[in-house]
Amino acid sequence: MYADTSTLPIAAVILWLGALFASATPWLNQLDPIAILSAFWTFNPDQYASVLAHHSWAPRVSIAMLIGCGLGLAGAVTQQILGNPLASPTTLGVEAGGQFGITVATLFAPGLLAFSPDLAAIGGGLLAIGLVIALTWRLGFSPVTVILAGLVITFFLGAMNMAFLLLKGEWLGNLYIWGAGSLVQNNWGPFMDLWPRVLVLAILMLLLMRPLQLLQLGQASASSLGARVGLIRVLALLLVVLMSTTVVSRVGVVAFVGLAAPVLARLLGARTLGSRLLWSTVMGGGLLLLADTLAHWASTWGDGSLVPTGTTTALIGGPVILLALQGIRNTHHMPGQESSPAGFQPKRRSPVMISGVIVTLLLATIVISMGWSPGLDDWNWTPITQWHEAWVWRGPRLLAATLAGVALGLAGTLIQRMTGNPMGSPEMLGISGGAALVMVMIVLSGLEVGRLGQLGAATLGAAAALGLLILLARKHRFAGNQLLLGGLALYVFMDAGLRLVMASGGTVAAQLLNWMYGSTWLTSESEAFGLMAFIVLICGFLCLVVRPLTLLPLGDTSASALGLPVAKARLLLLLVAAVLTASATVVIGPLSFVGLIAPHLARVLGQQTVGRQMIAAALVGGLLLAAADYLSRIVVYPGQLPAGLLAALVGGVYFLWGLSRHGRA
Amino acid sequence: MFTNSQPFRLITALLLSLLPMLASAGTWQHEQGTLTLDEPPKRVISLNWAATETLLLLGVTPVGVADRDGYSVWVKEPELPNGVYDIGARVAPSLEAIAELKPDLIVTSSEMAPAAQLLEQIAPTYVISAYQEGSQPFDKAREMLLTLGAMLDREERAQAILADIEQTLDTQRQRLEKAGLTDRPVALVNFLDDRHVRIYAPNGLYQRALDGLGLTNAWSRKGNFWGFSVVGLEAIAPYEDSRVVVISPTLPGLSDNLANSPFWTYLPPVKREQIYQIDATWPFGGVFPIKRLAKQLTDSLLEGGSDNVR
Repeated sequence: MYADTSTLPIAAVILWLGALFASATPWLNQLDPIAILSAFWTFNPDQYASVLAHHSWAPRVSIAMLIGCGLGLAGAVTQQILGNPLASPTTLGVEAGGQFGITVATLFAPGLLAFSPDLAAIGGGLLAIGLVIALTWRLGFSPVTVILAGLVITFFLGAMNMAFLLLKGEWLGNLYIWGAGSLVQNNWGPFMDLWPRVLVLAILMLLLMRPLQLLQLGQASASSLGARVGLIRVLALLLVVLMSTTVVSRVGVVAFVGLAAPVLARLLGARTLGSRLLWSTVMGGGLLLLADTLAHWASTWGDGSLVPTGTTTALIGGPVILLALQGIRNTHHMPGQESSPAGFQPKRRSPVMISGVIVTLLLATIVISMGWSPGLDDWNWTPITQWHEAWVWRGPRLLAATLAGVALGLAGTLIQRMTGNPMGSPEMLGISGGAALVMVMIVLSGLEVGRLGQLGAATLGAAAALGLLILLARKHRFAGNQLLLGGLALYVFMDAGLRLVMASGGTVAAQLLNWMYGSTWLTSESEAFGLMAFIVLICGFLCLVVRPLTLLPLGDTSASALGLPVAKARLLLLLVAAVLTASATVVIGPLSFVGLIAPHLARVLGQQTVGRQMIAAALVGGLLLAAADYLSRIVVYPGQLPAGLLAALVGGVYFLWGLSRHGRA
Repeated sequence: MFTNSQPFRLITALLLSLLPMLASAGTWQHEQGTLTLDEPPKRVISLNWAATETLLLLGVTPVGVADRDGYSVWVKEPELPNGVYDIGARVAPSLEAIAELKPDLIVTSSEMAPAAQLLEQIAPTYVISAYQEGSQPFDKAREMLLTLGAMLDREERAQAILADIEQTLDTQRQRLEKAGLTDRPVALVNFLDDRHVRIYAPNGLYQRALDGLGLTNAWSRKGNFWGFSVVGLEAIAPYEDSRVVVISPTLPGLSDNLANSPFWTYLPPVKREQIYQIDATWPFGGVFPIKRLAKQLTDSLLEGGSDNVR
């Protein structure tokens, strides 16, 4: 089941030497091997190639290794704290927070950035983790709630970053690069600044190793041995944040190293905590060096424009996660998914009352959205007799947004029920990612497509992603975690493309970002009605599949024993979820996260059984996006924000409030 | 004989009375169909800055423009008068605001292709894209100027603007040639941070200014369709012979960071003190930035370079 432990050192040596050699190759025709090696400490001022090697290449290689090691270690510690291989500094919101800090500093305090780029990034990262900790403290700081809160914070801060990029894009040219991660260096300064800090943080992390080991025993046993579980987690998390933000502050977001390195180490046979920490660190350094070399090579092909390292780390991270899909066998390696969120069982409420309230709110939103609107000079109230005129501009988009919310709410509930993992959602399953990937490729190729082309491309992408997932997951009888990991890998690929676009030019990126966060304003009347017919059809079908959904989370054995063809049921439900997601993605983009938030809101509102949760989630999703669409139209009128972005903001705030309020009760 | 001429005169008179209308009415082919106008449009809306600039050059003040405030910061010239409505972002304009202004012509680019039908519902839409795969921005901008000139009955003005730009390029080239400053290639860059620059490629708008001034672009590779490539600073190192022209704005602290980097101080153009800096010019505009750039570039080259950015 696992590779032999002796493969680890061999793999590490091959990775490091291969990457180093590959990195040095372009210099071979200008400098002799000794000169290349000595570029790390000296240079010949009369030979320009030598100057370049010493001041540009050598620091870049060094910083790649340093940062890779730091992120690998931070990733391994995060996974240990939270006991979930999907957890990484990225999913805790640390990088989104760092970017938020840099964005705010660039816009409002450019002097601070010139003084020290670290402060802004670290401040942002601490803000993110501070929010996560504050929200989950009362809930005993359990891993699942931490991961959930981390994800929501990631989306929330990510959405804020995007809002700034869309509204102030011209002012944030540096952010497009920072967000994509580039290890280009032109002196030794950053490396010299970084290495002592990374070393100190690494030592502190290792000091926490013994207490961290206790966490493996589970909360109860660890507490009985006298470990202050919450405190250890907080301390370790703080170190993770400091490590991640310190390294990314200088080079930007190099995503997925912190996720891929520990996964790779585990795959190659690192089992004890000590060996996992060691080999994740080593693998992280090797991986990033390899990725950066690829990025450097790719930059010299084609038209010579920069290929950010964030792109290649994502391109490498994707396959590693896919490998993990084959290698990580069973659910017991993912403790996160088994324990349902501690204290996340709010008291049940009458479904009629809850549905009534949401429907009333939805109707109110529709009336306000149709009637009360800003004009070029002032706000005015459109009387109901003139709604047919206003309908052209306000109606189709509102209808489409509401329906997309319903679709995502349903798809999200389906997926969370099916996988039994609270992190499961159409976004996490990669179906929206597949749709987005195709769009990214279209933008990259410079083609101008019409609305119909967009629809076709998105559907094609979603279908392809789904096909790939089915292919990958077939072996595992469509079991939940393999699907999630596969989806994550797809999302990683999409992310790679997105970062490439972002780094290549602000203006193109703005267009893409707009689509990614939902361009409801492009919806025509016929599209909206088409979507409506489609959703009604699917809802009818869903009434028929409530039973399999109730049975699937009981586990394969029990479900089969109760007469359910497990694999077939999973495939069918997966298809339904995919189709729902694809139709919604075209309208609202892949990043609204309504599919993640709506089912949780339904539970917070006390709807526990499958049928009730589905209805409540659909209504909540519809309400969220209806409100988001209205707000997107009015808040910066005559400008408009993408509705999906506002949904992520509005939904995120409510979700966090629900989480913390419940903790108090 | 004269009795026969009565209907003839009538027809002549009728034709003559139609003449002013014919001069401006017409049908134009554009990137996404055809456009028919019965009379010169009075209420024009532009959905990108290149179109806004072209309209203002022609002396037509649009009733609404996309991203009005950004125009005044980034494009600056020709100046946008007060009282023009903002109709939203360039990537996502507000259709409702556009409709409220009741335009009789909308000028946009193929970037708005997904919204083409919705825009057509509001008013005749003229689609022209200076910036797309395979296009030569200056030629397209020129076409936009001449076509809008014809639509708005200002053809002479359009021709005069083009002649003025050619004239400026000629004058400035002679100044450079007289000083013997045309032989070294020029790299046009924007600093994004202290490690990365945007470098302007031969397929961009700026190339027209370099051509007109008799200068060679140091960067010979094709950029993205906006006409630039984002590169690491080390990418300009191989062009040891060239001069580096830095286009403002730059982030605060940049000159200190560069001065502390041996990589920068060893860079041949830096050693030769051939770093020049010019004021911000909008690189994705219509024809006008060429004139602005040509003047500034010539002045700055004549003034002499330094070993760092300001």
